Amino acid sequence: MSKGSVRLEGIVKRHGATTVLHGVDLAIEPGEFFVLLGPSGSGKTTTLRILAGLEAVSEGRVLMDGVDVTLEEPGERDVAMVFQSYALYPHMTVAQNIGFPLKMIGTAAAEIRQAVADAAAKVDIGHLLARTPGQLSGGQQQRVALARAIVRQPRLFLLDEPLSNLDAKLRVETRLELHALQRSLGATAVYVTHDQEEAMTLADRIAVFMDGRIAQVGTPREVFAQPRTVDVAGFIGTPPMNLLPARWEAATLTIGTDRLAVAARTEAPRDVTVGVRPGDVRIGATGLAARVERIEDLGDTAITSFTAGNRLIKQKADRAPDVREGESVRLSFAAEAAHLFDRATGARL
Amino acid sequence: MATRPARSLAAQERRFALALLVPALVVLLVTTTVPLVYLAWTSLMRLDLAMAYLSGFAGLDNYVKMGSDPRFWNSLVLTGIYTASTVILQVVIGLALALLVLQIPRGQALLRVGAILPIVLAPVVVGLFWRTLVLAPDFGLVDLVTRSLGLGSHNWLGDPDLALISVIAIHTWQWTPFAFLVLLASLATLPPDVYEAARLDRASAWQRFRHITLPLIRPAVVMVVILRTMTALSAFAAIFAATGGGPGSATEILNLYAYRTSFTELNLGYGSSLAMVLLAITLAISFLMFRLRRAR
Amino acid sequence: MDRHKYWRRLVLAVVAGVGVAVWVFPVLWALATSFKTERDVLAYPPVWLFEPTLANYREVLVGSSSIVPNLWSSLVVATLTTVLTMLIALPAAYALGRLRYPAKRASGFYVLGTQMLPPMGLIIPYYLVLQKMGALDTYAGLTVIYLTFALPFAIWLMVSYFEDVPFEMEEAALLDRAGRLRTLWYVILPQVRGGIAVTTIFVFLNAWNEFMFAVVLGGNRVRTVTVAMFNFISVEQTQWAKVAAGAMLAMLPVILIGFFAQRHIVKGLTVGAVKGGGRR
Repeated sequence: MSKGSVRLEGIVKRHGATTVLHGVDLAIEPGEFFVLLGPSGSGKTTTLRILAGLEAVSEGRVLMDGVDVTLEEPGERDVAMVFQSYALYPHMTVAQNIGFPLKMIGTAAAEIRQAVADAAAKVDIGHLLARTPGQLSGGQQQRVALARAIVRQPRLFLLDEPLSNLDAKLRVETRLELHALQRSLGATAVYVTHDQEEAMTLADRIAVFMDGRIAQVGTPREVFAQPRTVDVAGFIGTPPMNLLPARWEAATLTIGTDRLAVAARTEAPRDVTVGVRPGDVRIGATGLAARVERIEDLGDTAITSFTAGNRLIKQKADRAPDVREGESVRLSFAAEAAHLFDRATGARL
Repeated sequence: MATRPARSLAAQERRFALALLVPALVVLLVTTTVPLVYLAWTSLMRLDLAMAYLSGFAGLDNYVKMGSDPRFWNSLVLTGIYTASTVILQVVIGLALALLVLQIPRGQALLRVGAILPIVLAPVVVGLFWRTLVLAPDFGLVDLVTRSLGLGSHNWLGDPDLALISVIAIHTWQWTPFAFLVLLASLATLPPDVYEAARLDRASAWQRFRHITLPLIRPAVVMVVILRTMTALSAFAAIFAATGGGPGSATEILNLYAYRTSFTELNLGYGSSLAMVLLAITLAISFLMFRLRRAR
Repeated sequence: MDRHKYWRRLVLAVVAGVGVAVWVFPVLWALATSFKTERDVLAYPPVWLFEPTLANYREVLVGSSSIVPNLWSSLVVATLTTVLTMLIALPAAYALGRLRYPAKRASGFYVLGTQMLPPMGLIIPYYLVLQKMGALDTYAGLTVIYLTFALPFAIWLMVSYFEDVPFEMEEAALLDRAGRLRTLWYVILPQVRGGIAVTTIFVFLNAWNEFMFAVVLGGNRVRTVTVAMFNFISVEQTQWAKVAAGAMLAMLPVILIGFFAQRHIVKGLTVGAVKGGGRR
């Protein structure tokens, strides 16, 4: 299974005077489930469309299985795409929709019928083949779009936020099925989403996009545990990491007037941003002086918001802490839980 | 592989678009633009088919002649009256009727069928119907009504003052359904919750119309005005069939004057210059109206 | 309160009914007249109950003033115009509505501009040129000038339908290896079938009803039914019943279209008007 490797080399995309992508490099392995994650406008969808051949690059190369496909048209690239809106052909039946890519390359009718039946069975829509898209629910339409993509057995699947139009419960179920489907097909998948939960659960690896650049590539664990920049840290996690300006001297952090010991030592004193996951924040007798603002009890978890000076800090725990709104408390965290970033560049230290 | 021509999606799309577009553009160029250039040329000619031996280049003579041609000025005034009155009548009646019909829970479909009838009829047939069955002295429908009301019989198309009113009525009769149907469809798309909110804000029926309905359907109203103005400026067949521009030149709008000059009096040079004036007026008005439409 | 509402509705219905009756009644009156004898036509007070006669229809169908050849002329010109218009307008509208190419705004503006041209501005040059070519009174000559109003109208109306198709359609089809032409044929055109129907109907209606071009550029061989109707009244001044029968026959195709395609027609009117295209 060596089919389906993808390389992007120095991709730059400009729309008139604005630059959407500032030099993106990426290597995706065959069979990998690769997620492009980032806020809207970060360039992840543009990158996907460049892979599909729907957008031309301004600079750089696109390679698939070692071959330069930068100038190839979408139809020549042997890639299939599932659109956010599904883009089903409304005037065709489900069977005709799924069979369309095969019909277009002149596959025999009997062969198409068999392939359509197989693809439909894989996504459990075998009973819907005679209907038209207008007669289907959103979830069923999404499956038709998937079937239309897998029927061609392409070397690469491109998925553009395919779950965003489903309701929350269905989204979680479909997520699991999608993962199983990709594993059973063994094909490479590139998946765009702004939903980090989706990214964390589906991805073998994630590329985090920020402002037209890739801020970090890594496994979900790496991206969560060791964010490479302050932007990634502030984007990943629900709620995201607390970020506080601090002064770092030797093995001591000074946040406002409070001091905390950390594990690492610095040579020269410097300004840093210290990041702490909400789950690592503890309420106790020592540490930062803070005021309880609001407690959101979600049943299995509780998120408590504090203000320390003019900073907002969030804490996440299995159950609501034994404090009241308006109460003054002190917050601390373990020395190894602190993530340190350079104040000026945002890079991890 | 190496010799393969560099292609890009955008370039391919461009070529495809041009291939699809070129036939239409060439046809339009040859059938509309070239003839207009020719019209501009003939408007500078003396081209009198009745006296062909006098034909030749005449410079701006035809345009100069207009200045002292009372029939031209009369046709301009009539064009203004005809266009303004028919457009205003169509929009006001069409809108009023649409607002009324919107409040009728059932039977709207039936009304729509009825309204389509005048629109699909050929204007020349409409002119004939009115000239005979509706407006003819003594036996026309209108006279049947006025006679039975004791108002007596009138020569609706033969009296110069009445004739203008009559052709305005004919045009309004035929094209008000257009305004009615378009505005009805436009009104039907307005969100009901806006009206509920306005009601809660204690807006009166008039205030709701003035501050909600009117601004929301404004684009449709403007579009109706533009399209109806174009039709009125080029009105021909119904007037031609009903009065022929007469009596005298009582209903001779510029379009008819240009036609009669060219094809009744066979003075194609002067007719061309009149057509040029009509062309200029039409394009200027449509340009202005589209500017106005975009301005908001 | 309920009583008040009831009366209000009744008044509304009556007013609306009267309004619409004004549109329908003259046509019904003409229909009735076409079945009357000339004597009944001129009866005063008018006769509401009369013995219907088919003599008028016999006269305009197979009599000396038969309009059948004129119906044929209209059918030929209107059909030629419609077919040619749709063949040229559909591809152009697709490009204007959905594709990216240079000078797109300018070309759109040009088409819109040609739509605003008054027919009077075109007829003189056409008359002079067709006369020189000996092409007056031919189907070809009339069809070409009909394109001048049909083509811009059809292009603009179709553009608004093409614009309504979701923009991912081409992308999905291109990824499905359909290519440009097959994308248009298999994916896009089937989705604007309604628009094609509406546009075809309007182009045909407008061509069938056209009068000024036909009266100037037609003649003895190519005399459309609208011109025939006009000549009818100048010759048979007082024979209203015959005129009415001829008019009913001449307008039968468009009335039938109006009746059976009313939904399409209302849609076409509004699409054109709301989106800024069509002109009639």
